[in-house]
Amino acid sequence: MGSLHARLLAGVGMFVGLALASAGAEAATRGGTLIYARYADSLFLDPVLNDANVDIWILTNLYDTLLAPTSDGQGVSPSLATKWDVATDGKTVTLTLRSGVKFSDGSPLTPQDVKWSLDRARDPKAGAWNFTLAAVDTIETGPDTVVLKLKHADPTLLPALATFNAAILPQKQFEASSGSSMEEKAKAFAEHPIGTGPFAFVSWKRGEVMKLKRNDYYWKMGEDGKPLPYLDALEFPVIPDDSTRLLKLKAGEIDGTEFVPYARVKDLQADPSLRMELWPSTRVRYLTLYVGDKYKDGSPNPISNPKVRQALNYAINKDAVIQITTLNLGKPMRSYMSSSTPLFSGAAPLYPYDPAKAKALLAEAGFANGFSFSCLSLSGNGDDANDLTAAQQMWAQIGVKLKIEQVDNPTRTAKYRAEDFQCRTSAWTDDIADPSEITSYFAYYPNIHSLHSGFDDKRIDELFEKSQEENDKTARTAEYKEIQDRYNSAAPIVYLYETPYPVAFRKNAKGFVQIPLGNNLFESAYIEK
Amino acid sequence: MNRASYTAARLLQIVPTFILIGIVVFVLVRILPGGPVAALLGDKASDEAIERITRQLGLDAPILVQFWRFLETIARGDLGDSIAYHVAVVRLIAERLPVTLLLTGMATIFAIALAVPLAFVAAVTQNRWPDLAIRGAFQVGLSSPIFYVGLILLTVFAGAMHIFPVGGYGETPGEHLYHLFLPALALALSFSAVIMRSLRASVIEVLSAEFVDFARAKGLRRRIVLGRHVLRNALISTVALIGLQIGDLLGGAVITESVFAVPGVGRLMVDSIFARDYPVIQGLTLALAVLVSLVFLATDLVQMALDPRVAK
Repeated sequence: MGSLHARLLAGVGMFVGLALASAGAEAATRGGTLIYARYADSLFLDPVLNDANVDIWILTNLYDTLLAPTSDGQGVSPSLATKWDVATDGKTVTLTLRSGVKFSDGSPLTPQDVKWSLDRARDPKAGAWNFTLAAVDTIETGPDTVVLKLKHADPTLLPALATFNAAILPQKQFEASSGSSMEEKAKAFAEHPIGTGPFAFVSWKRGEVMKLKRNDYYWKMGEDGKPLPYLDALEFPVIPDDSTRLLKLKAGEIDGTEFVPYARVKDLQADPSLRMELWPSTRVRYLTLYVGDKYKDGSPNPISNPKVRQALNYAINKDAVIQITTLNLGKPMRSYMSSSTPLFSGAAPLYPYDPAKAKALLAEAGFANGFSFSCLSLSGNGDDANDLTAAQQMWAQIGVKLKIEQVDNPTRTAKYRAEDFQCRTSAWTDDIADPSEITSYFAYYPNIHSLHSGFDDKRIDELFEKSQEENDKTARTAEYKEIQDRYNSAAPIVYLYETPYPVAFRKNAKGFVQIPLGNNLFESAYIEK
Repeated sequence: MNRASYTAARLLQIVPTFILIGIVVFVLVRILPGGPVAALLGDKASDEAIERITRQLGLDAPILVQFWRFLETIARGDLGDSIAYHVAVVRLIAERLPVTLLLTGMATIFAIALAVPLAFVAAVTQNRWPDLAIRGAFQVGLSSPIFYVGLILLTVFAGAMHIFPVGGYGETPGEHLYHLFLPALALALSFSAVIMRSLRASVIEVLSAEFVDFARAKGLRRRIVLGRHVLRNALISTVALIGLQIGDLLGGAVITESVFAVPGVGRLMVDSIFARDYPVIQGLTLALAVLVSLVFLATDLVQMALDPRVAK
């Protein structure tokens, strides 16, 4: 099966190469409307109060942040700030603002807008994401600079300034919105958002279509030396049904679409009028296990024994699951974090398929005759059904009986939060170009009890806390190596696979970029005439 | 009772129905496992964030207090704000209900246009080949899932032949009709089968009634017997059936709207249930309850027009 992965990697590499070549060789055409169909609509266009992927993946087209994630998701690059300077003690960050930047209504961006936006984003009463800026103590403004004074050195601050919730909004226009409280003003402002991003808001019929037009004041230059974006307008119709979305693409009624089902990728690749794109992502698929000593009903939990969890992992034939669910588009996990996450240190695929070893481990743990447990799965979700029925058959080989319990998403979330589950299907995508987000959720107990699994490793907690204030990159890399090794060998999850983002376009719609964090970038997209 | 006072009495009956349905849906959505805040904030949210937003939305109050606030918003002619979309429920419904009304209206017209003539042909050729062919064809229509029929219509007429657009709703009234043609047809197929079977049975029954023999014996022409006497009497029970099917039609609209990307209330309802968006589920259920009551009333009025005995 190794050759398959090599082929996949070669394919992805070729695609990235092609994308780069096409961006470099052909001049982009200006004008036109690009129609990109989405599987679900946005909910609420406020970067601070909301954090659904359907919103944040779009917000980057309306708003800018001081820094931007690089397109490989590994670091940060200039955006509204052209220069940033971190003091040697790591406790002062000075950012120089780009001059001449205007909001989409033509008003100028000021250092005061930046201070106000970041103060709002870090207000513990405002949004769920204030923790990303928790190290900030005070913000001072100069004529063209913003100075962040930190309580302690924070290696995650620069990536945090490139994250959706640190978007810069115009203070005056926001405060002039109707309503008496900040929440009401946020609602009113989100009805007609104004940002410095490449596109400006036009209209939104919820559940039907959102329309954006080019922001004539946008600061970034295209390859032709004129300001981006190339497109005049951008439309996001909502088409929840996969087959309908693809039929619409094939009929030429839309220019591109997201979340192509894995089963359809080959078919679209063979269509000469289309171009299938598989963007490297930070998405990982796994099963979360509850690892506490006892379940809510008081019965003992066999999965609390690390040997049992290792056995469950060894018994899964990853290549077969990858074939069944993703038609070989996925690749096995080498750590709990994706291989696109910074400081990822996985050397080889974890827990290579070995049923004999799995049986031996179960016997060592005192479960030579196996045991049974149940796993929560989303009803109607094909990936969940495929992954779990495959796991069910594979675990049956080592005497473990799996019961698949189909529920809807709010039910699954409620049981998960109450830590009243034995196993559940899960997927994760990073939002920040830094390993701290995924690690704080997966491995650091004080945050959400390590994915509500109850996994509690004091050494990991200590290393994580240290790494959060670590100013030395080499030391931080070593800390993350140890965290990953410890977590991966304790296996509080069942490792399944990483997948790319599958998107498809008409042949003449080019220049779209989806970064590993999922952000949809349309600033350089164009339609070839 | 004359027609006006009958209508007024029936309209008054909607009020208790409305209150009862309000109570039932208010309790039912809260019995569902999982709440709107956890569904909205997702798996990544911290307990503090969930508690804070639950408090902001007033969902931490005792259920009776919440019910009182719900009554207050309704008394103001308001249905509250959507938790997921952060806009007024009334606005969401106003944007999307007309779409579903147009879709179900078109589907009803298609179904009647398809079913009535064929039911007549089937009835008068009872158990001969035209009857068997029509019944066979409708049996297929009745037993095919809307989802499947929809995809086939899309693939053939939109994907391959490009006669119709692949889903969506368009911008102008003309475009709306054009975009809704295939979804209305998909929805009409199973509906028309129900009408056809009922109407065929009624026509056969009426054809054997004494007054038809009498009309024939009087020497009335066949067309007048069928058109004036048989159709009118056979339609009475069919009209009631069409009215009663409104619930099924709205249920079918949920699926049709998803397959054809039609932005109607069916999809809004499904999305809102998965998001546990209490105000939208409550508001929409009440709006649909009123709608169904009005359709039942209209059905009765049409029946009265066809058969004055109903009013008595």
